[in-house]
Amino acid sequence: MEIKDIFTPQKDLHRWISKVTQHGDRPWNFLLLFVSSLVILLIISICFLLWHDSASARTQLGWNFLTPLLDANWNPQNGNMQAWPFIYGTLITALIAFIIAFPISIGISIFLAELCPEWLRYPLSWMIELLAAIPSVIYGIWGIFVFLPQVVTPIGNVLAGTLGKISLLQPFFIGPIPESGLSRLAAGLILAIMIIPTIAAVSRDVFLAIPKAQREASFALGATQWETIWKVLIPYGSSGILGASILGLGRALGETMAVTMVIGNSLEGSASLLRPGYTMASLIANQFQDTVSILHSDALIEIALILFVVTLLLNTIARLLVWQTSRKFLKG
Amino acid sequence: MLKKLLNIGLVVLTGGLILSACAPAEKAVPSASTQETLVEPTLAPGSVQLIAQGATFPLPVYDVWTKSFQFVDPSVNLTYAGTGSGAGKKAIVDGTVDFAGSDSVLKDEYKTVADLQMLPMLAGAVVPIFNLQSIEKDASGNVVIIKELVLDRQTLADIYQAKITKWNDPAIAILNPTLNGKLPDATITVVHRADSSGTTEIFTKALASFSADWLAKVGPGASTVQWPADKNGNGIGSKGNPGVAVAVQTTTNSIGYVELAYAKSNSIPFAQLINKAGKTVKADPASLASAMGDFTNAFDDRLNATIVDGSGAGSWPITGYTYLIVRTQSMKDCVKAQKVVEYIKWTLTDARAGKIASDLGYGLLPQAILDKVIDKLNTITCKGAAISK
Repeated sequence: MEIKDIFTPQKDLHRWISKVTQHGDRPWNFLLLFVSSLVILLIISICFLLWHDSASARTQLGWNFLTPLLDANWNPQNGNMQAWPFIYGTLITALIAFIIAFPISIGISIFLAELCPEWLRYPLSWMIELLAAIPSVIYGIWGIFVFLPQVVTPIGNVLAGTLGKISLLQPFFIGPIPESGLSRLAAGLILAIMIIPTIAAVSRDVFLAIPKAQREASFALGATQWETIWKVLIPYGSSGILGASILGLGRALGETMAVTMVIGNSLEGSASLLRPGYTMASLIANQFQDTVSILHSDALIEIALILFVVTLLLNTIARLLVWQTSRKFLKG
Repeated sequence: MLKKLLNIGLVVLTGGLILSACAPAEKAVPSASTQETLVEPTLAPGSVQLIAQGATFPLPVYDVWTKSFQFVDPSVNLTYAGTGSGAGKKAIVDGTVDFAGSDSVLKDEYKTVADLQMLPMLAGAVVPIFNLQSIEKDASGNVVIIKELVLDRQTLADIYQAKITKWNDPAIAILNPTLNGKLPDATITVVHRADSSGTTEIFTKALASFSADWLAKVGPGASTVQWPADKNGNGIGSKGNPGVAVAVQTTTNSIGYVELAYAKSNSIPFAQLINKAGKTVKADPASLASAMGDFTNAFDDRLNATIVDGSGAGSWPITGYTYLIVRTQSMKDCVKAQKVVEYIKWTLTDARAGKIASDLGYGLLPQAILDKVIDKLNTITCKGAAISK
């Protein structure tokens, strides 16, 4: 009777629980595992939902949906819909943003980490982080009323008059830019302003994390400050800088509100940066709330799926780059 | 950096936990849903919570109405969220709201919920707004801004179809003799809504009625269409009535469309139109009433009606009803059902409520149509019993 009592399942369980919870390690580990697996679950469920809900659009619209044709249709009323103008808009605006933002942000982060006088460092860092915290709709409003007419339109006119005259670049810089400035270029520039603080703040932290010994060793070998930055610090921090760039690029690809407000939301058939365009994110934001037909809403879900895949692909490519550069660095 | 982020995360997490722990305690005091069946003669102030959402087209007037109704019946606490017609229709089908607002009619929704009822509340006009500079300068050399413009139905459709692309096109010049020689040789920038909206639906339905070519090439009108001007390179899409207004105001030689209430309250010049009867009309309460009068007998049994391009001499041609959608039999809470009916009746019959709407530029229902809506309201039942007055 007594022996049985000791080994009753309840008592056993009780002892097991008190044993594993004694130091709190296992519940803690379990909790962390649970929280982390939520992320994986979330990505899988988003992927599944987009795939599942776009099924009818994929079968009805077929591969024709993805034909790389800029002069494409998006007519929900008769079901003639193609995605390319939106894919192009998303890629080109993110590309403009990245090309402009990357060198500027790296410059800012080097200045903050290496060259900035102490009294300026904190106010400047604070301002940059503040810039990252401004809601995108504010960038949009400022863009429409100030930035576009005052800055983008003049730049656009200059570009149309110079690069637009070169035959090779003509498709991308053919004007005229609308007087209001609403264009792919405007979206790219606004995005650049929006992702500069992200890339700059993260890269600054990367530079600050580089051990002092690296700099001292370089200086001891007689390197100038420029050589130290260019040949020691940047290679050392390259994987971190790439990580920062991925963050920035991700924001540029997915940004919706500010882009919708400044891109012009037009199914214009050219590739020109100076003309109004459309992005995948702004199309979904504009039309998903009130769709004309079931095919229309399914097609929008397919657009979301494409946006998801594009983001995933770019992330993977960037990861591979990080991996390769860090390996090269370790070898060299 | 990571550590910093973690710290911030922890602070946010704990903050959230504290907040969520507090929230139920605060809400627990006034419980609204306890009186399920008993209709008491006097209800505590704010004890009946009515929730509605939907169309943004009538939002300016609904905002004032919902606030005003609290003084009429203090027991009702009514909120109307402007989420768009599509979201409103979905919400009334799902049963998450007590009533919904919509500018577009129901189609497949009747299959899911059979007792949905459309109730026309107001008529709204959509007006073409423009930003146009005369080529002539005034005495001191300043740019002259054109404030008055007349278009006919075909011309408006042709502009939006990019068949007319210049302001000095003969079709426009012949309609505006006073602007003879003053219209610029400039491309018309055509501004349209980028987001799907009831305003677009009314506008494109009207264009389809104005022009057979539009009907054939673009379609019969919907909340989202493929704009021919976009392909031509002179189209721009903007979000919401404010977005269209800003795009027009910042682009010289542009045209756009917004609802009348919006154009009026922001003093944007809007064009007059020559209607089906060949008369030049201006969008105002009188021309709206005339347009509604043209279609008194056009209602189906759900009270749906399209009222664009009326044949009356004084009718504004780009007009649409905005509706409320209610459930006529399947409302679960009879107190709420009664308050919904009382609220709708108040908005339709109270003189002050009417004045609020007409001051904002909406058209009030003519008596014949009003009677139809009131009749429908009187047929609403809750749990099989008629709603007592």
